[in-house]
Amino acid sequence: MTALQEAPAEKANASPPPQRKNRFRRDRSLLLMVIPAVVLLVVFNYVPMFGTATAFQNYSIYAGFLHSPWVGLETFRMLFSDPLFWHSLENTLVLSLVQLVFYFPIPIALAMLLHSVLNTKIRTFVQSVVYLPHFFSWVLAVTIFQQMLGGAGALNQFLRGHGLATWDIMTNPDTFKILITSQVVWKEAGWGIIVFLAALAAIDQQLYEAAAADGAGRWRRMWHITLPGIRGVIVLMLVLRLGNVLTVGFEQLLIQRDAVGREAAEVLDTYAYYYGVVNANFSLGAAASLFKGVFSLVLILAANKIAHLMGEDGLYRR
Amino acid sequence: MTTATAKTKVKVNARPNWEEPPTPAGQAGKGLILAVVVAVVAVPLWMVVLTSLSTQGAVNEAGGMVLVPGGITFEAYRQIFTNQLVMHSLLVSLGITIVGTVISMVVTILAAYGLSRQNSWAHRPILLTLVVTMFFSGGLIPTFLVVSALGGYDAYWSLILPTAVSVFNILVVRAFFANTSQDLIDAAHIDGAGDWRTLWSIVLPTSRAVTAVVALFYAVGYWNTFFNALLFLPDNQKWPLQMVIYTYTLQGNAMPGTGQNTTGQYFGTQQIAPLAIQMAVVTLTLIPILLVYPFVQRHFAKGVLLGAIKG
Amino acid sequence: MKLDRRQLLALTGLGAASGLLAACGDAKTSSGPGTTTQDQLSKLLPAYTPNELVKADIPSATGANGFFSSPTFLKYPDNPVTTSTGVPGKGGAYTTITPLWGAIPSASGNAYYAAVNQALGATLKLQPADGNNYDKILPTLFAGDKLPDWIQIPSWNMGNLGFADAVNKFADLGPYLSGDAIKAYPNLAAIPTSAWQCCIWNGKLFGLPVYYSGATIAGTLFHRQDLLAKQGINPDEIKTPDDLAALGKQLTDAQAGHWAFDDIFDGLGQVYKFPVDPNRWVIDADGKIINRYETPGIIEALNWFQTQAKAGYVHPDALTDKKQEAKQRFWSGKTAITSDGPGAWKGDDAKSGKAANPTYERQAFKLLSADGKPEIWMNPSAGMYSFLNAKLSGDQIKECLAIANYLAAPYGSAEYLTVNFGVPGTDYTMVDGNPVLTERGSKEVATSYQFLVTPLTPTTVIAGQTQVAQDYAAWEADMVKYAAKPAFYGMNITEPAQYARINQPMVDLVKDIRYGRKPVSAFQEGLKTWKAQGGDQLRAFYEDIRSKYGTGQ
Repeated sequence: MTALQEAPAEKANASPPPQRKNRFRRDRSLLLMVIPAVVLLVVFNYVPMFGTATAFQNYSIYAGFLHSPWVGLETFRMLFSDPLFWHSLENTLVLSLVQLVFYFPIPIALAMLLHSVLNTKIRTFVQSVVYLPHFFSWVLAVTIFQQMLGGAGALNQFLRGHGLATWDIMTNPDTFKILITSQVVWKEAGWGIIVFLAALAAIDQQLYEAAAADGAGRWRRMWHITLPGIRGVIVLMLVLRLGNVLTVGFEQLLIQRDAVGREAAEVLDTYAYYYGVVNANFSLGAAASLFKGVFSLVLILAANKIAHLMGEDGLYRR
Repeated sequence: MTTATAKTKVKVNARPNWEEPPTPAGQAGKGLILAVVVAVVAVPLWMVVLTSLSTQGAVNEAGGMVLVPGGITFEAYRQIFTNQLVMHSLLVSLGITIVGTVISMVVTILAAYGLSRQNSWAHRPILLTLVVTMFFSGGLIPTFLVVSALGGYDAYWSLILPTAVSVFNILVVRAFFANTSQDLIDAAHIDGAGDWRTLWSIVLPTSRAVTAVVALFYAVGYWNTFFNALLFLPDNQKWPLQMVIYTYTLQGNAMPGTGQNTTGQYFGTQQIAPLAIQMAVVTLTLIPILLVYPFVQRHFAKGVLLGAIKG
Repeated sequence: MKLDRRQLLALTGLGAASGLLAACGDAKTSSGPGTTTQDQLSKLLPAYTPNELVKADIPSATGANGFFSSPTFLKYPDNPVTTSTGVPGKGGAYTTITPLWGAIPSASGNAYYAAVNQALGATLKLQPADGNNYDKILPTLFAGDKLPDWIQIPSWNMGNLGFADAVNKFADLGPYLSGDAIKAYPNLAAIPTSAWQCCIWNGKLFGLPVYYSGATIAGTLFHRQDLLAKQGINPDEIKTPDDLAALGKQLTDAQAGHWAFDDIFDGLGQVYKFPVDPNRWVIDADGKIINRYETPGIIEALNWFQTQAKAGYVHPDALTDKKQEAKQRFWSGKTAITSDGPGAWKGDDAKSGKAANPTYERQAFKLLSADGKPEIWMNPSAGMYSFLNAKLSGDQIKECLAIANYLAAPYGSAEYLTVNFGVPGTDYTMVDGNPVLTERGSKEVATSYQFLVTPLTPTTVIAGQTQVAQDYAAWEADMVKYAAKPAFYGMNITEPAQYARINQPMVDLVKDIRYGRKPVSAFQEGLKTWKAQGGDQLRAFYEDIRSKYGTGQ
């Protein structure tokens, strides 16, 4: 009986760690396989990273990277001394946390629900429909929300028509983070299901059969087989999500920022947009994205470490 | 290599005999949840499609997106499809999507397998090298400079190669590959199969769900490619479909600062609302997406490889 | 997906109209403000020779300070004159990039492109680009040295280019056009001086103006004449902001989905006398240069608008800063009073509005004022310019200018028909005396050649709506009577980069107040911060400009 989550020890027994050199020879073909991806990433991701240097320059597109004056940490000093920057960071982190709690579990739950539906036709239909909003632009998504829940939307016109108090969630700064999260649920949950469905499909059916034979009911099987079966993917997604904790939907927020005001809606990406891009301050934009990169990398590695400590795989096996 | 052929196909639709029959309450609960979920998505979809088919009058009556059918017209679609460039760009998009997806899948599967073996030489530093690219980018202008220095300006490959590798996808596929039974792989190795053969005949056949999903991710990415076309393809004749039909959404959009519409005047046929054209563009974007999912779903079938793992 | 980018850029695009980017640009510069002195100007400016070949049905009205309204044509002249002799081009081939807000035509099999290129005697390879994403494309073209031979750049995209530096990539047209040299190009000579003035940076003439007029009005307050009439309101009696406020209650019926106002805050600039983009600086009664935010008017306007918003007379969607849907709200009668660019008042607008309601009628209010002394600051004459690549040889530049001369042929000429409408019978036909695109024409003709250079923009009959053209002409003739120049009218000034960041907090604060999230009293606090963070220094910079280069008065 082979479980999906194998104990590492078991593997180590199967092939004891050979010498460094021997390992290299043994793994030649594996390394060969990685080369195309590494080459593409080096050319199209690493080489352009010289652009990061602009964070330490007073960059001008006319002087170019070679001739723009160097200013050391000046841009960072400016960034870190700006209260608006810290405020946007705070908003970003809070929003990320709200989404982690209220968005992250939903695709998993929906995937499990959908997976338990036996009729393939219904499954395919539901899934084909619910993943479509992912392909809506944020403008369209927000327009739809506005038309349903806005001050002149269907809900409020109904309330007005019955002499009831109106409820405009679209312009309320206090509930803005909830609004943003529910929009994300509406737009992205259907798309988020897919990878979990793939994970569910990979679970060995004999495990269920054996469990059922042992008298385990529906819920027990879910708890002891289904969840552990997709745990690796859940942890991977969670680790990746933590790595993206400073990314909370630039367009979605940009479109709705002025409806609730800067104080509620400014996040790191919109801050970098308004103070970097719009003001043609390429160096500020580069500094903000460098900050974001370092923060995210540290976080994802920490999350990975924690996953390992808890006996999970994370990005890779320990 | 007898292991992989020992498949016991289970009928896809049927409830396995060990599973207890569903309770009516459970069925009803599931049905209700799914119905609500579908409705929440389907109503806006209906509005999108209906608006794309509505006359300017119907849109004016509704004051925006149309919920209740008023005047119906196919004018928006007619306007889009009578443009020669649309048909040409459809071919461009198909080409980009097919070539791009093939390249991406090959690169991704190879990299994912190459990194999936525990204890393999240098897999951790390489993984880290990959992960770093998820968080650091040189920005728009440096990327533009590199791609155009390599001759990508005004060339189709600029729509494919710069975005060919998604580290996210590699990590996902890698995680699935790593879960492939070590027993199977060891058995293959004992049978004398090298890594290439193991990947091809053991790992890939047992990972159809994830490869289908990642192929879907790549394909819709290429199909919707827009930003690189905007930057790298000045020549309209090379534009992909998304870029061409997108320009229709600008129709009736005022030139900034003046309120003036710069589109030439023409009133041979029915007046069409800018909103209707925008929604027609959305609908045209969704149709291929809607059609492609069932092909992915086929690979999700439960128990396709029952018994394979037993060996 | 794509719509998002459209709107995203509509946001920044509208920013150009209403808030974020100054036309003259705030960006880093290594070569100073790029401004030009009056002395230099007088040497640089081409001699003006108005074109008198075609007579307008309603001639331009001359207003205050040298501003004049657009000539109006109710039908295309019967026997269009030819303004140029022979074929302008010498068989050269040039690439162009121009923004486009509309569907991209196919270049292959395009009868219009072929006809115009044939008439030009040159091959222009037209590469229209997405106008809403133009600000993304431009920096890459500059940084990657991929500029075409001929490119058009709107003023609202210059802000993030540091334009005093950017122009060095373009050819200095002074030697070919300054003073009497322009007489070799009679149609270019008919471009008014105020338009040429916008084309000068660093003491050199670089640009060719695109879509300019004798009085460029940023925007104005429109109303649904039919809806006002239903309530027995006579729009001519609305003269003050108080009169306007009184309409709020009368025109609002929230239960029925009708509100009096859209987001008309920018339109209040002309009522309460604070400059709206691209203008930011004016000279007060004491001769002091003051910023938009230092005018007393902006506070009154904030008060006015917040009061209306809180009373529930503003459409709720308009309070979410979604201006791109304002036209649809107006067509649908969900709002009765809106603010928009004057270009919104055209025949095609009437057609869209009448689709569901045949009584639809857009009209503009006559200029309102809070103090009984109506006055309106004009925008720079031209808002877009085209440039020739500095790499072109002298002969190539001359060929391009000859082509430009052809493209700038005035309304009513034979060339104008070719450039704007293509092949007769194929791309357009005459309907009631006006050229109208055929179905094929509507696919082939896009604003492409016209975005390289244009003649003086006329008012014409569109979609057969003669009355609209007449009403517009009458309104414009009235408006130019009150036309005034902001502090640095028509001058190109690139601000030092460090001041760019102080503007955004004020933009945000103004929105917070007008949408009712903060009290009007919060404005003074924000203004204090603005001054301390660089506003006062920025004013000093402009005082310095005044002493070195003079003002635009």
